[in-house]
Amino acid sequence: MTIYRGSCLRVDLSEHRIHRGDTPENGIGGRTWNSVTLLRELEPGIDPLGPENILCISVGPLTGSELIAACRFIASAKSPLTGYLGDSGARGFFGPELRWAGHDQIVFTGASDRWVYLLIDNDRVEIRDASHLLGLDITETTVQLRRELQDPDLQVAAIGPAGENLVRYAIISCNLARAAGRTGMGAVMGSKKLKAIVVRGDKPVKPVDAEFFKKVCVQLRKNIEGHGEFEGRRLYGTTRIMDSLARMGVLPAYHYRSTVFEDLEKVNARALRRDHVVKSKSCYNCNVHCSRYNYSLFSEGEGPEYEAQAAFTVKCGNSDLGLAVGVSNAVNRLGLDCISAGEVIAWLMECRHEGVISESDVDGIDLSWGSREALLRLPELIAKREGIGDLLAEGTKRAAAKFGSGAVKLTAEVKGLELFSADPRGIKGYALMNAVNSRGGDHYRGEPMIELTDNEELALRRVGHREAAHRWEEKGKGALVNYAEHLGLLSDSMTMCKNISCCMDVVDFDLAAEAYSGLLGKSITSRDLWEACSHVSQVEREFNLREGLRPEDDTLPERFLDRPIPDGPAQGTTINIRRLVKDYYREKGWE
Amino acid sequence: MIHCNISICVGCRMCEVSCSSYHFGAVSPGLARIRVAKLEETGIDMAVACLSCAEKPCLDCPTEALAVGADGVIVLDADLCNACRTCVEACPIGAIGFYRDRPLFCDLCDGATACVKACPSAALSYLEDNRETSLAAFPPVRGNPNQRRAQYVQVQGAPLRACWKNGVRVEP
Repeated sequence: MTIYRGSCLRVDLSEHRIHRGDTPENGIGGRTWNSVTLLRELEPGIDPLGPENILCISVGPLTGSELIAACRFIASAKSPLTGYLGDSGARGFFGPELRWAGHDQIVFTGASDRWVYLLIDNDRVEIRDASHLLGLDITETTVQLRRELQDPDLQVAAIGPAGENLVRYAIISCNLARAAGRTGMGAVMGSKKLKAIVVRGDKPVKPVDAEFFKKVCVQLRKNIEGHGEFEGRRLYGTTRIMDSLARMGVLPAYHYRSTVFEDLEKVNARALRRDHVVKSKSCYNCNVHCSRYNYSLFSEGEGPEYEAQAAFTVKCGNSDLGLAVGVSNAVNRLGLDCISAGEVIAWLMECRHEGVISESDVDGIDLSWGSREALLRLPELIAKREGIGDLLAEGTKRAAAKFGSGAVKLTAEVKGLELFSADPRGIKGYALMNAVNSRGGDHYRGEPMIELTDNEELALRRVGHREAAHRWEEKGKGALVNYAEHLGLLSDSMTMCKNISCCMDVVDFDLAAEAYSGLLGKSITSRDLWEACSHVSQVEREFNLREGLRPEDDTLPERFLDRPIPDGPAQGTTINIRRLVKDYYREKGWE
Repeated sequence: MIHCNISICVGCRMCEVSCSSYHFGAVSPGLARIRVAKLEETGIDMAVACLSCAEKPCLDCPTEALAVGADGVIVLDADLCNACRTCVEACPIGAIGFYRDRPLFCDLCDGATACVKACPSAALSYLEDNRETSLAAFPPVRGNPNQRRAQYVQVQGAPLRACWKNGVRVEP
């Protein structure tokens, strides 16, 4: 059934032509539309950085409504980092503005021969010259566009130097620090010579059944405020995870060589809030406002979230949190994905530690653990593709291939996408998610959070297995990951913040069905939404199989498979990823 | 008037959402009578609605469609309004909205103050005593309403940034 068909803006950047159409008939918004569009319109085997690639930016019917945290936009294209389907979402305020301008999806085809930006002012859409913005970082680009267009309230999604220079893990960023970070969507935008998308909109989003819709919104707000983690998330946001992961024994200290970081107290959430955070920040229409603003005399900005905080501290063996915060700000401005960039630097440090590369391989940069020089210089070299940065801009998989087998063995990537900041061996659901999901090494496709709760009743209710509530259990993880993937896809379609919908478990398919029903004024069941998500999850698999994905690619990096966790609370833990993947395939009916 | 405590406003725009939803049953910033200026490069956020200021330059209406009502709110006579935007342009802090040929003034929801109830960080409050804040320091004709709102908030935010600079903790 067609649940909602939105309006689609088609921008041909080769011909500088714009025309209007509809979003695909299948799908429920956001990522579902993008994946269907890409499977239908992309030729297999194309160069992700060539003009044949298509960049889709979409929101959904609920974006910009009163529903809490329905604020994201989803960018999708064939990924220049993995060669498979790439997509990533960003929170903030850009998504709602695009919806208020009356556009549900933008499909960019071709590539411009000169640098341009797209201006959308409700129905007025123009391709404009962006040559004067070239080389500006994301903050400078945003500020400049707001100034010259004389509107400080404009929403801007831009790329920085990293996107311009086709770094394979470049981001598209809005509100200065809200990134569609993973799988290199910023590089695709850069390959099309599209520097920014600027939006102004004021068309109301009006629910058809306003009274019912309001009830759903109030219910969600209550669910969030009554949640046990509400206060913790308000104070610390995602950074609170660091202590939890340390307790579980899955901290990735010294690039996964240890799970114990001796200076944890110097770099954890409390230290960050005490020494660097000056206020909380929020995305659109959210009551959690889990983001934080950091300020020092040298650097300021929003963040860091757990991933940047952990990547630039424990993963790199760095105890100087102020340095890590500064690096996080710089990485955001340059337009690099903090997870991939952090992984590249930490991996290099381990390569140096193991002696598989020497400092002459990396322009003489000091690569000892926690090296200030490496953390300060490498992001800029990568973003500008200068010196060793040119190779590192290709991502760890390609860079390691140049350095040789010793360096390859130390990488932590799946399908070319760098892993998050946790040791997958001790968290089986997350390990499986990293192994099988369509993006590659990634935890955020859908969060199998239930395995961290020890709440057996919840696990039984959601996925039918009590054991799935425990992170060390293998049983039920196929079902858990399948459920988490569906919920993640649902969130990417409602464009809802996954920290709320997936991590806090306050949104399920029933609540989502009520939200869709109230907004659209028709009866939509949780079954309808589940089936729409199942369909698109198959579409995404088909896309990747068409690009040459083999079942043996659904695995974890070698370094996690042939040895146990060396120390800490989870010492001795091993993982049998083949068995987990088999369980997941069975769940999917892929045998 | 609606007062915003700039040191605890996180810029979520729930006030805009609730205002627009309360008055129109729909959501759009264009429908909101309270607007959040987000000065992202300096980390400052602040919601701005009509302050019932001492000067009330908006009252200088060519068709005499505006008057001061109870609680100091500006009341529009829609029959007299010809949508000339004179009031919108006169407000020194960009606190008057405009949608579909009508200026939008904060009416305190006739006492319901939807934005205050919706504010998740308690940054917004309703000040009954209507202290007649003076806005004489803000030149009325510099830039468009969005720019004037941003300029106003930049001035309001300067002391907060000074606190940050001097290492003074501003804990909500």
